[in-house]
Amino acid sequence: MTLRALRALTVRELKRWVRTPTAIIASVMTPFFYLLLFGQAFNIGKFLPSGNTPAVLAAFQGAPDYYSYFSAGMVIFVVLFSSLFIGANVIFDKRLGYVKKLTVAPVPRSVILGASVAAGVFRCLLFGGLVFGIALLFHQIPGLSGLTVTAPVTAISVVEIFLAMTFLAAAFTSLFITLGYVIEQIEAYFALVNLVNLPLLFSSTALAPATIMPSWLRYIANGNPITLSINVLRENLFPYAGYYTYAPEIYLGILALFAVVVVALCVRVTVGALSPR
Amino acid sequence: MTNPIVTEDLEKVYPGGTRAVAGVSIEVHPGEIFGFLGPNGAGKSTTVGMLTTLLKPSGGRAFVDGLDLRTETDRIRRRIGLVFQESTADDQLTGRENLELAAAIYDVPPAEARTRMARLLEEMSLTQVQDRLVKTYSGGMRRRLELAAGVIHTPRVLFLDEPTLGLDPQGRAGIGQVVRKMRDDFGVTVFLTTHYLDEADLLCDRIAIIDHGQIKVLGTPAELKDKIGGDVLTVTPQQAGVDLEPILRAVPGVLSVQRHESAYRIKTPQGESITPTIVEACFAAHAPLASVSLKRPSLDEVFLEFTGRAYREEEGPSATDMALRMNQFRGRKR
Ligand SMILES: Nc1ncnc2c1ncn2[C@@H]1O[C@H](COP(=O)(O)OP(=O)(O)OP(=O)(O)O)[C@@H](O)[C@H]1O
Ligand SMILES: [Mg+2]
Repeated sequence: MTLRALRALTVRELKRWVRTPTAIIASVMTPFFYLLLFGQAFNIGKFLPSGNTPAVLAAFQGAPDYYSYFSAGMVIFVVLFSSLFIGANVIFDKRLGYVKKLTVAPVPRSVILGASVAAGVFRCLLFGGLVFGIALLFHQIPGLSGLTVTAPVTAISVVEIFLAMTFLAAAFTSLFITLGYVIEQIEAYFALVNLVNLPLLFSSTALAPATIMPSWLRYIANGNPITLSINVLRENLFPYAGYYTYAPEIYLGILALFAVVVVALCVRVTVGALSPR
Repeated sequence: MTNPIVTEDLEKVYPGGTRAVAGVSIEVHPGEIFGFLGPNGAGKSTTVGMLTTLLKPSGGRAFVDGLDLRTETDRIRRRIGLVFQESTADDQLTGRENLELAAAIYDVPPAEARTRMARLLEEMSLTQVQDRLVKTYSGGMRRRLELAAGVIHTPRVLFLDEPTLGLDPQGRAGIGQVVRKMRDDFGVTVFLTTHYLDEADLLCDRIAIIDHGQIKVLGTPAELKDKIGGDVLTVTPQQAGVDLEPILRAVPGVLSVQRHESAYRIKTPQGESITPTIVEACFAAHAPLASVSLKRPSLDEVFLEFTGRAYREEEGPSATDMALRMNQFRGRKR
């Protein structure tokens, strides 16, 4: 019963999404511009003396150049960024009476949240994967910086990268969906989301290594879930002995715990928001 | 057999202090089409909201299909169907996909869902458009689709909050037929709200009139009309000075006759069928009539009678709609 409802509701979310191609194109374009314009222009690795491989590796945590370092961060940022929009759908669904319809249906509240989260995670992984693919593709195009992987690609590293993205997506999609259930105004929603989103990005190692940060920011950056997920990617893509405190599996464990706690909290809040009042 | 809906002093006070429902006690009988009639803001949707587990009552008790509203929300949800006042069909999905979704969340076995869907689409005349996105549907098509989605799981009790809102007379008649058929075929109990007296009259077995959150009167349409005193027929004779009163009183079906200057006001339960008899009776008594006018008991009059004031138009989104409908009412009178 529950599984069938979960599947039907998830499929509904995805159908609605696929049927608004302009929104999809718009959300694909944003990360694409980051990779094509921001990353190419902001290639700060060029300030380092060329040919000094150890210096470059030290500066970018083992990545062979800034672009490779940055694109790993971008993959995770896009996962976060894609999760933002999911909560806005809830606000529209409330206005359309869809949420009301679900509220009076004999569906467990956790399934209602679960379906949106499942659809959201799917979208996040798709976009994260897309950014990954584009960055790898740029590596093949002469004249463009691209993502250079220096480690051997193994099944384990692929699974670990996939899980890091999934845990992060699960935590943030549930967070934003729950925000959508609690907030009535779309403007208030986006204001709040930006309050979460940009600080999370700037206080992570997505754009700049922690080594060049002031120490107070470095502490925040090292505990930031964005950084934790990026660490899993970078450790698997450009292994660099001595830089990371923990093995990727440990970071994954912390991320899993973070996701479980956030999702559990969100289920509680959503159940409250969907109860008769 | 337990009554499918029982409320005892049901009450709802919204945060902010509006007492939308102020002690409603009703019993709806099995297989009955029960109408809740009242103006904007009367508390109709709030009552439906409570009975369908969307809103929490502030006081009183209610039982739906014998289940206590306070403790058995989940079981109640399985047994009821609901069409909201506002459209809730997903317009990015096709009509069929909307029904499939409803079947899945109400856990109708897939094979059964397919047969029911085919039948409902046919009954609602939606078979041709089932694969079109709902955003291309007309208001009437949407409403019929929502009705189909509301009964896909064969509910025991069906709640319809203004099912004919915004439909033309043909569309309204269509919905009425479908609701009646569903009751006749499945024995479902229907609780519907409406602004239209004529609709309630045609469709409902019993009607409750609600105003300011309180039931003003409850009964069959015939009982309510009787309480108003039926239709009013006004006649004037061609020559002044003739006393029509004894002639009119002798016509079977005439309840009372009052003289106002040259005109006579006749109260009767069936104004239409009695009119020719009256015309003939006067003609036969050599007192031919100059004019005859028939006035029906309307919502205005029912209201006047039971609330002591005229049917009001409230502010709010449906105020214009209401004004429009009142004009329709007036247009029906002659
Ligand atoms: N969520 C709410 N918060 C506060 N007051 C509300 C809320 N919903 C409705 N009300 C108030 O409760 C009263 C009853 O509203 P309700 O929607 O039940 O009326 P209704 O009979 O369905 O009217 P309509 O014919 O316009 O649909 C109104 O005064 C309305 O303003
Ligand atoms: Mg209403």
